[in-house]
Amino acid sequence: MAEFKSSVIDTDAVEAVPTQAFDVVVIGGGPAGMAAALAAHKADARVAIVEREQHLGGILRQCIHPGFGLSHFKQELTGPEYAQRFIDQVHATDIALFLDSMVIGIDSGESTEDAAVHSVTLMSPTGMLQLTGRAVVLAMGCRERTRSEIKIPGSRPAGVFTAGLAQRYINIENLKPGSRAVILGSGDIGLIMARRCTLEGISVEGVYELMPYANGLRRNVKNCLDDFGIPLHLSTTVTRVIGHDRVEAVEVSQVDEHLAPIPGTERVVPCDTLLLSVGLIPENELSVAAGVELDPRTRGAVVDQSLQTGVPGIFACGNVLHVHDLADNVTTESERAGAAAAAYALGCGAGADADAAGPGCELTVSPAGIAGYALPGRITTVGLTKLNFRVRRPVDTARVRILAGDKELFAGKVRPFKPSVMESFPLPAKVIQRALDLGVSEIVLSVDPVEEA
Amino acid sequence: MAETFDIAIVGAGITGCAIARQLARFDLSICVVEAANDIALGASKANGGLVHAGYDPAPGTVKAQVNARGCELYGTWSQELGFLFCRTGSMVLGFNDEDRTHLEQLRRNGHVNGVPELSIVGPDRIHELEPRASADATCALWCPSTGLVDPFEVAIAALENAVANGVTFMRSAPVEAIEVAGSGDDARFTLATPVGNVRCRYLINAAGNGAADISHMAGAEKFHMVWRQGNIVLLDKEPRTLMPLYPVPTPVSKGVIVTGTVHGNTVITATAAVREAGDTQTYASDVNALLTGARKLVPDLDTRRVVRAFAGGRPVIQGTNDFFIGQSAVVPGLFQAAGIQSPGVASAPAIAERMEYVIRKAGVALRERADWDPIRRAPDDFDRTPLARKEELIESDPAWGQIVCRCETVPEAEIVAAIRRRPGAVSVEGVKRRCRAGMGRCQSGFCQSRVAAILARELGCDPSEVLLEHTGSWLVEGPLKGVR
Repeated sequence: MAEFKSSVIDTDAVEAVPTQAFDVVVIGGGPAGMAAALAAHKADARVAIVEREQHLGGILRQCIHPGFGLSHFKQELTGPEYAQRFIDQVHATDIALFLDSMVIGIDSGESTEDAAVHSVTLMSPTGMLQLTGRAVVLAMGCRERTRSEIKIPGSRPAGVFTAGLAQRYINIENLKPGSRAVILGSGDIGLIMARRCTLEGISVEGVYELMPYANGLRRNVKNCLDDFGIPLHLSTTVTRVIGHDRVEAVEVSQVDEHLAPIPGTERVVPCDTLLLSVGLIPENELSVAAGVELDPRTRGAVVDQSLQTGVPGIFACGNVLHVHDLADNVTTESERAGAAAAAYALGCGAGADADAAGPGCELTVSPAGIAGYALPGRITTVGLTKLNFRVRRPVDTARVRILAGDKELFAGKVRPFKPSVMESFPLPAKVIQRALDLGVSEIVLSVDPVEEA
Repeated sequence: MAETFDIAIVGAGITGCAIARQLARFDLSICVVEAANDIALGASKANGGLVHAGYDPAPGTVKAQVNARGCELYGTWSQELGFLFCRTGSMVLGFNDEDRTHLEQLRRNGHVNGVPELSIVGPDRIHELEPRASADATCALWCPSTGLVDPFEVAIAALENAVANGVTFMRSAPVEAIEVAGSGDDARFTLATPVGNVRCRYLINAAGNGAADISHMAGAEKFHMVWRQGNIVLLDKEPRTLMPLYPVPTPVSKGVIVTGTVHGNTVITATAAVREAGDTQTYASDVNALLTGARKLVPDLDTRRVVRAFAGGRPVIQGTNDFFIGQSAVVPGLFQAAGIQSPGVASAPAIAERMEYVIRKAGVALRERADWDPIRRAPDDFDRTPLARKEELIESDPAWGQIVCRCETVPEAEIVAAIRRRPGAVSVEGVKRRCRAGMGRCQSGFCQSRVAAILARELGCDPSEVLLEHTGSWLVEGPLKGVR
């Protein structure tokens, strides 16, 4: 049957659009994009940042709570303060800023004599524009999972908000989304919003969590719920939204070990607002359109150790790659991506790598045990490699193991793991070399619970 | 004293809007009276958007007479009214010999009902027509005339065209009582609504799930509506739009259908359960049944990518599975278009055509107006616009370059246009139905506050007065703190 795709890109017309050339084009002006751009600029690349909002800073602009910068600046900052440090640095450089600009397409690279040149088409109130660069850094961040994705049944009244939307209403628009709120999900945004609502005079009836443990950082459970006497109901979820025009109540139910609601445990909680903090999803529609392969576990790109995707010259970092726990970690990762992108662009491609210019190889990395994912998914250079992962459930005693076939190449020390923490693990070059010596094409990062003696 | 209209149409669903558009060509004063604050807020909204071809209704029924004709008319209607219509064709998949017997029966029905080019095809042709159709399907009824529309776009386009031709639209005007004067009276019917009385010579009942109440209020036929509720699931966009795939139908419904939409999403439609009137809740059991049913037809469907689940009630007249279209036998001058359940969307243009015929036969003088304009100029749909036109638009007004809804690429200018058109959007959902802002995968998480701010500005109201949908669906209470 006929295809009727919604976006029409007429290639003839694209050629008529004004073009500006850069070495590195960074898509997204949040913490990831700014850190990547600054690192690329430091490596002497000509850099552009494309940002769809009128301001740099991304979601940090509405994260007015403290807790940022403890690792990067050794100082506790609010989200806007943390962002401002990078905004000031960007403004002190000649990094070109394209604000209010929406990227509508990235082509996967026009071949030239030495290396492919990517072109990024964007539109803004001043018109269409095309930016070219040998390297592109994807730093578009993530979006919130919605009510529909977790399939909460019931009616569809006003008053059901993702936590981030409610945060925008309160912190940016100075608007009160309701008077009595129920929060579903104990991720960090849900916890932060429980406190924020309370401080703004919105009564929080309770935070409900499907899992038998809190999903956010421990410090947030204490600072945002315990200190304000807000109850946290574990193994409980919202099973029905009630109210025709505006939320009048929600029905909550306890869930069994398979996370299925237990009939007979339903309880109706009157409220006018339901906030959802039920997960974040990397926003990769542009990446997919550019031919970037995604990892179904992270829903971000499959990358190598320099954070390069499967499309040569396209790099990814921050929450568009995998959902981070702390903005500080986004910064650190994105600096790596920016430096690698600059090295790629200036070295004109093939094999140029920022820090680890070891011999080439081709290994895939897979998660096992309670590890939910492993990043990077590919290793193409023998060198010290930073591995990131998260566990799927909390355990008090477990260890990281690196496996190649039936051989254990490495075993870490026994310690607790929590799903709220994005773990980082330095994989030594010699372990990679041992895997290669064994002739395998895949290594496994396995996190395995250990019975205490 | 209120104006007396020649004709009042109760209900601005797809049926009422199509009838208004059909009759707007004549020298008549017409008023469409709608209980809700916008167009297509009842059964027309909770709909899978399929233009069924017409092989399904039993020959001889009213449905059988209007379905295939409606499907045919969509070609010209979509051109004149500028709404999206894709004649994709469809298949009813059969998995065994018993199914094949049903398919043969459907093909014969279709032939009698005037559905063109039906054929039974085998696995190779099935795979060729829709590679994602289940490999277990052994046979299928291939029907090239089936199509897709966006049901609210059809209703909105029809009423915009009617209004442009002089039809009056009264919204938020639920009919609370109907007074009927003698048949010779110039204003035979007086409709009492909270926003004033409407007087008219002739009355058309296109009130959907409220049709029985309207008929009773007018002292006409007594019948009861059954709320045959359906849940529907909308999935995210796919690289290639799926052809509509049907299972073999059951006696009360067409079963769980999987289809692409005109916007490239996938829809799974619909369950059928008799529930309490007005129940538009979704149910976990229904949603699971949809996802399971869909995977039988399209095994590789990624049913995790749910963008939205919704529900509505099909307006079924108790005791019949058919449409009721005609002049009231009890109250002359009252014309019924009741029981317009499935296939109401597919039939709408033909129901309108039939209503014209019925009215003419009843002796209403229908003189065509010289200045009637059948063409509705559709608003610019930025996302679908070729690049050169996009640049022109941005040059004409920078608000075309200011993207508000990132999932569906909807700029501010398109939202403003949705509010300023006549009849325009008065709510966040009304904006969404007209230009898709908030329709995408993030379900307005990023753009709701921006759309609400544009509505407040355009309607000249306070943010606390901005509605999600119906009266009472306030989004925010008001400012948190005073500005110091």
